[in-house]
Amino acid sequence: MELKEKQLVTRQAEPLADLSHQPEILNGSHALIRSLIAEGVETIFGYPGGAIMPVYDAIYDYQDQINHILVRHEQGAGHAAEGYARLSGKVGVCLVTSGPGATNLVTAVADAIIDSTPLVCVIGQVAKHLLGTDAFQETDVIGVTMPITKWNYQITSADEVPEIMAKAFYIAKSGRPGPVLIDITKNAQQELMSRPFSYTYCEKLVSYHPRLSPKADQVEKAAKLINEAKRPFLMFGHGVQLAGAEKELLELVEKTGIPCASTLLGLSSVPVDHPLYAGWLGMHGNYGTNILTNQCDVLIGVGLRFDDRVTGDASRYAKQAKIIHIEIDPAEIDKVVKAEAPVVGDAKQALQMLLPLVKPNDHSVWRNEFRKYDAMEDEQITQPELAPTTEKIKMAEVVRMLSDKTKGEAVIVADVGQHQMVAARYYQFKRSNSFITSGGLGTMGYALPAAFGAKVGDPSREVVAIIGDGCFQMTIQELGTIAQSGLPVKAIILNNNYLGMVRQWQQLFFEKRYSFVELQNPDFITIAKGFGIAGHTCSQRESLSESLDQLLQSDKPYLLEVLVEKEENVFPMVPSGACVSDIRLC
Amino acid sequence: MTTYTICVFTENTIGILNKITILFTRRRINIESLTVSETERKGVSRFTIVIHHDSREAVEKLVRQIRKVVEVLAVFGYLCDEIVYNEIALFKIATPLGSKALDIEIINKVHKAWVVYWHLDYVAIQKTGTEEEIFQFFDYIKPHGILEFVRSGRVAVSKSPHSLVDYLPEAEWEYYL
Repeated sequence: MELKEKQLVTRQAEPLADLSHQPEILNGSHALIRSLIAEGVETIFGYPGGAIMPVYDAIYDYQDQINHILVRHEQGAGHAAEGYARLSGKVGVCLVTSGPGATNLVTAVADAIIDSTPLVCVIGQVAKHLLGTDAFQETDVIGVTMPITKWNYQITSADEVPEIMAKAFYIAKSGRPGPVLIDITKNAQQELMSRPFSYTYCEKLVSYHPRLSPKADQVEKAAKLINEAKRPFLMFGHGVQLAGAEKELLELVEKTGIPCASTLLGLSSVPVDHPLYAGWLGMHGNYGTNILTNQCDVLIGVGLRFDDRVTGDASRYAKQAKIIHIEIDPAEIDKVVKAEAPVVGDAKQALQMLLPLVKPNDHSVWRNEFRKYDAMEDEQITQPELAPTTEKIKMAEVVRMLSDKTKGEAVIVADVGQHQMVAARYYQFKRSNSFITSGGLGTMGYALPAAFGAKVGDPSREVVAIIGDGCFQMTIQELGTIAQSGLPVKAIILNNNYLGMVRQWQQLFFEKRYSFVELQNPDFITIAKGFGIAGHTCSQRESLSESLDQLLQSDKPYLLEVLVEKEENVFPMVPSGACVSDIRLC
Repeated sequence: MTTYTICVFTENTIGILNKITILFTRRRINIESLTVSETERKGVSRFTIVIHHDSREAVEKLVRQIRKVVEVLAVFGYLCDEIVYNEIALFKIATPLGSKALDIEIINKVHKAWVVYWHLDYVAIQKTGTEEEIFQFFDYIKPHGILEFVRSGRVAVSKSPHSLVDYLPEAEWEYYL
């Protein structure tokens, strides 16, 4: 009796309470699943195989408490878990086997670390006594993933399971989130624990202390710079959404009148029609935001890492400005740009502390400078893109029409390339947490599984994937996962028969020597139908509206292929290695 | 090129050496010497890593990246004048019949080195000191015929009046007596 009480000691007793029929001494696999349930995990994306079979056998007993989704390739599991994590705000969980199962997952893990996405990846491993013997499907996954995980660990005995899983979840979601990989040997999955299972949440570690609350003197220094600024400019990144600091961000810019701009992953944190929203930044960002970066006197970066796609040539980036860098990861401070006033902490807490210290201001003259550049960009790029005279449809029209039809409230999951940049430029985001894309790693094939994962993460939201014809073929097999789930994930292929972004670079910087960028594509709609997913192709401008309606009205998964202009280029553009103020309109 | 000494305190776990050195590899920084051993606190390892680099800024960035490794407790970067440091070297010197006799007095008094093992055909001499002092002794002893020579990595303590372990996170550490 005493044992049973101990077994149920947990902060969240509820999910475990009805498990009293389970054997008191669990094996490692059952302990693993019970740990996941204790952490509140509802969904696992996975793929079984030899070295993870005991865990799959355990899941069989818990199907009423945990939803396992069978993907078609482990990379799909990883990206689905990423999409799930990004939209739900929870930790995404993947479960795969050793060797090829693990190496297939590696791309998604690398993607998650660079985009700060919380994942816990559980990977089967050969039995402890076989480690290092080149056993069947043995890969040194700990070695392989060391540089691309926030933390990784190999479990070799069942007793370690609850403690390590608690640590894994704590590390994955706290501070700057990231992927944690747990390699569990087959013997640890099979053997019985030497004591009754009990789960204690990890809330701190001796060696790991993410700083959430910034130091007061750092915040005061930042406030002083803001109050003295004549031409302040605020840029925000993914950190704002990760911290849930959208409200505080708006309060700050509204109080101070500071124009703000977004990085690729920060998009949708501030509604595009907000008067203080100046646009987005970087290589294909807006004209004014890039040029004026090199004219502001104080630059406030909130929850971003000054990626090279944002800064261009960092040695000529905002040199005239004093930089305030609000960031949770101390390693990002001074990594790319030197910060006059670093503020290390969670974006929400930092902004909350900053708010009472900043003085109300207007800065309307300075803000109007952005409008001047906006007008030029609008005339030279945006309007011609949205009302083209070309025979074929242009990507921008599709995205803007989708934006209008969904009132800017859908979740857009963009793949990687021209269509990604067009989606970011032309979708009019009105609601936070609405843009999911592979920003740092630029992983082609991300969107289809990530859109699926996002839909699982929040079925109440309309999720539309925007995918290029090249990207689509990298994870096309996940149509099977989507079909099996029946979830109404919508996908649009913007098909130009090219690897468009590479082609654009070859045109602009390699004298139009189109080297291996033209694709002979399959009939995507027939393929979708083969998977049991309905779809159709739209090639005429006149039928685009109707096509999008059909896509959006479907209560099942749907694929719309739009045949677009073959050789269109995305502008504005900061050429690679150029400085942000050298941005080109054509 | 400036010499930097990086002291890292970590949890003593499998793979931690890899997790630290992989950060140097990625940034193409060569490790000149590396010493790792457990400290007086159970489960806490101390690394002393010596590198040459021409950018202080790059070293500072590296230090912050090392700090990010979950198992790392604390990291400190030093210039040579900020630390007291030493290495230990062992020299195996051939002593065949009829060879020039070793001048133990000079070895002991001038070079502060000690014969720690005698064999019929050779002796093993231990020399403690900075890299420079060890190579001075190397030059001195070379004519005798060096059969084998090995240097440890550098060990260092900071010249600050504080103990580095004061900067470790608070925890219920267990100590070796």
